[in-house]
Amino acid sequence: MSNFSIPGSQSTPAIGGDWDQGILSMQGDSYPENSYELFQQVFSWVERFLLEAGRPLTLELRLLYLNTSSIKAMMDIFDLLEEAHRDGKPVAVNWRYDPRNERVAELAEEFKEDCTFPFAILALDPAACAS
Amino acid sequence: MEPFDLFSMRESYNRQQIMLCFNGPISRSLIEEIGNALRNYLAADHAHPSSAMDVFGVYIELTQNIRHYAQQKGWTETDASATVVVARNDAGHYVVSAGNIIEQADGEALLACIDELAGLDKAALKARYKEQLRKPREAEAASGAGLGLIDIARKSSAPLQGNLRRLTDGRAFVSLRAEI
Repeated sequence: MSNFSIPGSQSTPAIGGDWDQGILSMQGDSYPENSYELFQQVFSWVERFLLEAGRPLTLELRLLYLNTSSIKAMMDIFDLLEEAHRDGKPVAVNWRYDPRNERVAELAEEFKEDCTFPFAILALDPAACAS
Repeated sequence: MEPFDLFSMRESYNRQQIMLCFNGPISRSLIEEIGNALRNYLAADHAHPSSAMDVFGVYIELTQNIRHYAQQKGWTETDASATVVVARNDAGHYVVSAGNIIEQADGEALLACIDELAGLDKAALKARYKEQLRKPREAEAASGAGLGLIDIARKSSAPLQGNLRRLTDGRAFVSLRAEI
């Protein structure tokens, strides 16, 4: 029904929502001064998808550094997924990271601790993330 | 007027192994630009990616806290002045320090908070962090730099250090130091 995409910048991730495929993707660093403005759009899209689409939703993440206000915003999004999961709706997260930076896996792991839906933390092939 | 000579400043910076420093009004874009420079220095210094991310993260939380504080108080851009120093200590650890003007009472509360965090081990800091993360945004704003400070403490290898220097008009200058 509605796709959306926000180009990434130095301090904000590239974000894309594909309504037909049921995929929300986010890549890059996230440390805007006001993360609320940015994440509100993502939150609304996820909320609407879970309410209206009637299809599985998967988050494909390649997030790196998140400041604390971005972490709080991501937690709100994962809480939405958790609620949907408890209502029996299929949701999943795939968070891919460069194994040379274990901080990213630790960050993902801390989110995963509070989630009961499928949450995969996947090491990328280092050759594929040379940049 | 002092004679024009940056040599002693340079000597002092070298002695303290200062990689980067900034003093003045700090804007959103300046935080990003200095952050970029910091990342480049860390890469050139062959810092481990996770350690570089910790140093960068501490720098971002400290500087964004300073801007948030000035905004909360309704202070002008010039009042959102920061003194930021990134250095290495003799043990080879990165040290990120930041200072700014603050109301005396807020400064005292901040130092009390730092003292309290200093007594917590990694597991207790994590529990405190998760608890703070779950607090509503208004409660977070009211308590000041709560989440950011805990995050900095978690990324540090030694307890945070703080110092308050009293100025006039009920204001003070607070310095925070995090060793990564």
